[in-house]
Amino acid sequence: MNTKISKNIVRRWAGNPVISIRDLPFHANDVHNAGAARHEGRYVLLVTIENLRGDCSIFRAWSDDGRRFEMDPEPFLAPSLDGPFAEYEGRGVRDARITPFDDTYYITYLAESEHGFRLGLAETRGFEEVVRVGLISEPDTKNGMLFPRRIGGRFVRLERPREGGNIWISYSDDLVHWGGWNVVMTPRNGFWDYDRIGASVPPIETECGWLLFYYGVRNLPGGPLFRLGVAFLDLDDPSQVVARSNVPVLAPHERYERVGDVPNLVFSCGAVLSEDRSEVEIYYGAADSCICLGTVPVEELERTCAAARAAGDD
Amino acid sequence: MPAIPDTDLLERYEQNPVITAADIPFTCNTVFNGSPVKLGSEYLMLLRVEGQHGYSLFALARSQDGYRFEVEDRPVMAPVTEGPMARYEVAGIEDPRITVLEGRIYVVYTAFSGYGPVMSLATTEDFHTFERLGVISEPGNKDGLLFPRKVGGRYARLDRPIGNDVGSVWVSFSDDLTYWGDSRVVITPRQGHWDSYRVGGSAVPIETEDGWLEIYHGVKMTSGGPIYRAGAVLLDLDDPSVVISRSDVPILAPRTDYERVGDVGNVVFASGAVVEPDGMVKVYYGAADTAICVATAPLAEIIAVARAGRR
Repeated sequence: MNTKISKNIVRRWAGNPVISIRDLPFHANDVHNAGAARHEGRYVLLVTIENLRGDCSIFRAWSDDGRRFEMDPEPFLAPSLDGPFAEYEGRGVRDARITPFDDTYYITYLAESEHGFRLGLAETRGFEEVVRVGLISEPDTKNGMLFPRRIGGRFVRLERPREGGNIWISYSDDLVHWGGWNVVMTPRNGFWDYDRIGASVPPIETECGWLLFYYGVRNLPGGPLFRLGVAFLDLDDPSQVVARSNVPVLAPHERYERVGDVPNLVFSCGAVLSEDRSEVEIYYGAADSCICLGTVPVEELERTCAAARAAGDD
Repeated sequence: MPAIPDTDLLERYEQNPVITAADIPFTCNTVFNGSPVKLGSEYLMLLRVEGQHGYSLFALARSQDGYRFEVEDRPVMAPVTEGPMARYEVAGIEDPRITVLEGRIYVVYTAFSGYGPVMSLATTEDFHTFERLGVISEPGNKDGLLFPRKVGGRYARLDRPIGNDVGSVWVSFSDDLTYWGDSRVVITPRQGHWDSYRVGGSAVPIETEDGWLEIYHGVKMTSGGPIYRAGAVLLDLDDPSVVISRSDVPILAPRTDYERVGDVGNVVFASGAVVEPDGMVKVYYGAADTAICVATAPLAEIIAVARAGRR
């Protein structure tokens, strides 16, 4: 029976959840949506934590094995209280995505204020200090992330503007000025990703193309159902989809994914590729209430996408 | 129903509207939101014409006095069906705004499709062939206006994204007109005012000694639907994200039949202005999304109304 129900190719870690509010050294409403990276052999997560008042900050957690994390008591990135960022972060910062880029890390995050949702960009060398680079979008847009290298000489980002529910791409020479907007992926009629989609994890370079985990939403009478899918984008022109899975690779099945502040939700912001580049460790928020871990071989992701392509479904 | 006299600063041209669907040589539904430019002694205006099918395209009108226009026989710019812009213009092109910048003619327009409205940029030399320069905003954005010169060393634009369900005017900057950034909010709706629901840029900013004069539109939502009015705001010459002062009251509001009755009633939607050598400003506006009208006032008086307001 288990084999028939648990069809997702992402395998959950038996010790899930990795981080829940019980693991925090302070009181909070919930913990969700973590960006992930491996820095000098250790795992680091940038976790979104909603405080009891209801606004979010980004906290850092370290781990040696990627399973047991130690959470800092103070935020790594808290809403700006003064300066040019304050006006746009008044309602919190969250959903950090970490992009390793040469010898540094770019962090894209969501800045929320009375003016709406914008993408913030920050930079860190070793996750000790963090420097804000700028606010790089207009409102309302979410799920912004950088590619880990320049493509065709330019920085490239993905994002999910509220209008339309599609994944868009744009380009920049300097990380400040952006242009060349184009739609990359759209929701699919009748599919699990029917109502809206957004990029989840900053793209990972593979031989088959840029590996992109994305989320798909289907609105049901009981509320939205958030699932994780996968696609490969062309290495030289990432506005082109090479292949896209026709089934989710992870869907809410477990109790911790079904029960929480936002039920029936798996939502990833970060993943780490194994040293031999064969397996991905995916960190995902479950029901907007805890952080979980799943693993999947890259080869299986490729097979899933190839099968979808063969079926004409992507 | 005559206009209530002495209420609005702008004085309506007595033979308004200046262009209606009856003046368009080809079959159409409506014409509105025209963008004027005065080149030498000739007035040219790009018109948003909504066809019977429901999507919009642009026609060209010419005039010697700014009041009596002659519309060319055929549309001058229509949605493309090939190339990179085709997918974004499926549902039409709307609301052109002409800016003469460093001797070139640019047209900012809204490309419309299922992907949402996006600001797009084109350039032309003759108003008949338009070279598309591409999408310059994320979707969900309208009312794009290019400043007529660089500001602080960069090109600048106003636009109207929707953030947190609020439509505000934002400014962005660019070195090359393709890549845009440093976006900041400039004008937001004011609670309890005539512009409490939504605001957006209307006319290409006019450089004055008192700052950039921006004629904008403000919307108030009522149980009967929205009311669109025109207001004036002064922005800092060196940093247009800074508001110097903003009119407390509209300079034009829907009062006449042609502004109250049409496809979208109760709309005056300023879409461009021409400053005459004698200091009079001709403000062109769409009325009830159905016709193009003009109203005038001395530049100094529009500035005075803007200055009399608070920030």
